[in-house]
Amino acid sequence: MSLARFLVSVVDDDESVRESLPDLLKEFGFAVQAFSSAEEFLASDYVDQTNCLILDIAMPGMTGPDLQRELRFRGKEIRVVFITAHRDESVRPRMLELGGVECLLKPFSDTALLNAVNDALGIH
Amino acid sequence: METQSNSAGGENARNESGLSTEAVLNSLKLIFAGAPLSEVLTIIARLVEAQRKGMLCAIWLLDKDGSHFRCAAAPSLPAAYIAAAGGLTVGPRGASCGTAVYRRETVYVSDILTDSLWDDYRHLALPHGLRACWSRPLLSSGGAILGTFALYYREACHPRTGDVQLIENVSHIVGIAIERHMKEEALRRSEARKAAILDSALDCIVTIDHEGCITEFNLAAERTFGYSRDQVLGKRLADILVPPSLQDKHRRGLERYLATGESRVLGRHVEMTAVRADGQEIPVEIAITRILLDGPPSFTGYLRDITQRKQAEEKLRRSEAFLAEAQHLSSTGSFSWRVATEDITWSAELSRIFDLDAPLTLARIRTRVHPEDLHVFDGAVDWARGTGNDFACDYRLLMPDRAIKHVRVVARATRDQNDQTEYIAAVHDVTQSRLSEEALDKARMELARVARVMSLGTLTASIAHEVNQPLSGIVTNANTCLRMLAADPPNVEGARETARRTIRDGNRASEVIARLRSLFSNKSTAMESVDLNDATREVIALSLSQLQRNRVIFRTELAEDLPTVKGDRVQLQQVVLNLLRNASDAMSAVDDRPRQLLIRTERDDGHRLRLSVQDTGAGFDPRTVDRLFDTFYTTKQDGMGIGLAVSRSIIERHRGRLWATLNDGPGATVSFSIPLDPDSVSDDHSVGGIRTAAAANAPQVMRNA
Repeated sequence: MSLARFLVSVVDDDESVRESLPDLLKEFGFAVQAFSSAEEFLASDYVDQTNCLILDIAMPGMTGPDLQRELRFRGKEIRVVFITAHRDESVRPRMLELGGVECLLKPFSDTALLNAVNDALGIH
Repeated sequence: METQSNSAGGENARNESGLSTEAVLNSLKLIFAGAPLSEVLTIIARLVEAQRKGMLCAIWLLDKDGSHFRCAAAPSLPAAYIAAAGGLTVGPRGASCGTAVYRRETVYVSDILTDSLWDDYRHLALPHGLRACWSRPLLSSGGAILGTFALYYREACHPRTGDVQLIENVSHIVGIAIERHMKEEALRRSEARKAAILDSALDCIVTIDHEGCITEFNLAAERTFGYSRDQVLGKRLADILVPPSLQDKHRRGLERYLATGESRVLGRHVEMTAVRADGQEIPVEIAITRILLDGPPSFTGYLRDITQRKQAEEKLRRSEAFLAEAQHLSSTGSFSWRVATEDITWSAELSRIFDLDAPLTLARIRTRVHPEDLHVFDGAVDWARGTGNDFACDYRLLMPDRAIKHVRVVARATRDQNDQTEYIAAVHDVTQSRLSEEALDKARMELARVARVMSLGTLTASIAHEVNQPLSGIVTNANTCLRMLAADPPNVEGARETARRTIRDGNRASEVIARLRSLFSNKSTAMESVDLNDATREVIALSLSQLQRNRVIFRTELAEDLPTVKGDRVQLQQVVLNLLRNASDAMSAVDDRPRQLLIRTERDDGHRLRLSVQDTGAGFDPRTVDRLFDTFYTTKQDGMGIGLAVSRSIIERHRGRLWATLNDGPGATVSFSIPLDPDSVSDDHSVGGIRTAAAANAPQVMRNA
């Protein structure tokens, strides 16, 4: 499948997300890598290959926005979809302002996820 | 025998009719030269005796009692007779002298041996060879009897021609001598008395003549001004006692009076300055009177050194000023109130606080009391009248400009010597501190509310986060599962895996909820022996200021000899505190009746204790009673609605129960009843415990019959 050439990386400290989300993304046809922290992702070989980053906002250590800033600092332009379990009305606009393609509030539907990832990858 | 006669005759008759002119003049000279009376009279007696051979002359003075005699002069009478004659008394048969005084006329006894007038006294005279005695009473110019002039003979003897005249003449001179002596004596005594008065007077007494020269200067004046009397007599007063700056004024005042009779100081008490011998000026109070005598006027000044009084007055004035200033600075007025007479004395600051002019009366003060606080004011007055004990109360004033003042009155009862009650009281205007307290309370309440909202928000956010994580997994897994099953061919193995994960995440969500519950449910309860009364008193002590601020009239009925209960002291105190606050808050809008709060402890049936808190507040609507104990249900602006729910869960953990009833009158009563030992209560009969909390939420509310 042509979509398999897109690598979507998931960074979330929650294990159930790291287990469930990659399976769904694979069902969509994407290649997927999951990381339990921002630091783990940065240390991996997948930074350069990642086309879309699904990034949890609140994590121990480096947060989602921290990672986004770090990547920009390193000159890596990776489109980011933020996800968060904090259902706070003010979070989404803030994340979009930071340059996120989308900010999904957990729990989110499969279509919402697919639309966000497609947007990030520029697939229409 | 004829006992007496005015007729002259007898062998001894002589021709001489009286004293020689020279002799009379000599005696008068002596008299006016001020010689002692006895000397003058003795000389006269001798002169008389020289006139008649064998005649013995005596002058007797009548005692003050008017009935006995004492000898003034008797140069030739035997001393023993003179002494014996002291027993002679005035009367109709009082020998010669006693009878003469009695009859106020001359008595001639020619023979003492036979005359019945001497019957009682003959034995006194005969042993001394006295046989005849003629006696004439001596009269003062006013007619009073001074004594007698008596002539004695050693043989029976009738008066002869000339004797009567002699007796008349001599008696006249003797009367003059005695009377003059008595007047001098009286004058001398009066002078001595005056001197004693002057010298013992506490005030300085200074007299001056019309030229302003000092004529008298008493002991007190000597002590006060440091001059001796001799130093100042004859000196001008102005030079001695008047400070240089006032000397002109003094002189002019004296001159004006002498010229016009006008005076600014006569007959008045005047304060002025005087100067002492050492030059020091002292304040004196002075009263000047004019001495009423003929001739040029003279004056007596009564002066008093008022240095100490001035100092005391100054001290008093200063301390009064200090007190007034302190009262003003501290906004504290004071008053005293005599209950029996309603007399009230008050400080200036009190007038200011009440904005009332004199005279202050209870009735006038009452007009300033806020209508809603009149029951407090009247209650305090009734208490004071009824008990005579100390009291303290807080109430508000409603001023004419509609401003509200808060005052605190603290009154101490005292008893005067007649055992009448007088209150000494301080009235503190606490408006400022009350306002800032209220502002602080308001701010604190607002802050607490914000904090509660904040913490509630944080709490729900963290609950949401914890729950959303597994929910997110569930939704994603379920989606994945559906997609796997919808694939061609269906990925059954993958679907099974995701379904398994869905179940796991569901369980995980459930665990999160359980964890939250255990977090909020209380940890192990610290069971100890608790004296419920003691624990309650501690809470009361903590709440007292708030209760007072809310003007709650507070009463306790703590049963004596309550057994201890096994429980968590701190938790039970939280319940009591919560019930007190609720009761106090429930009355915060009550202004038409006293805000009364009664806290009572007692033994309850079946080894239990009961504590109830009764208020006269708004009560509650029986229709919403179901929700009274619900978490997050509140009727209060600042309430979070967890107070009663938390209280209930604590009581239930003690295997007790908590309930509310409406009073017969206004207000509600909230009570709890707990067993003495929770462990002795079997679960079957308990309504408490966290496991049965849901069941126990059924409200136990009833109306009092």
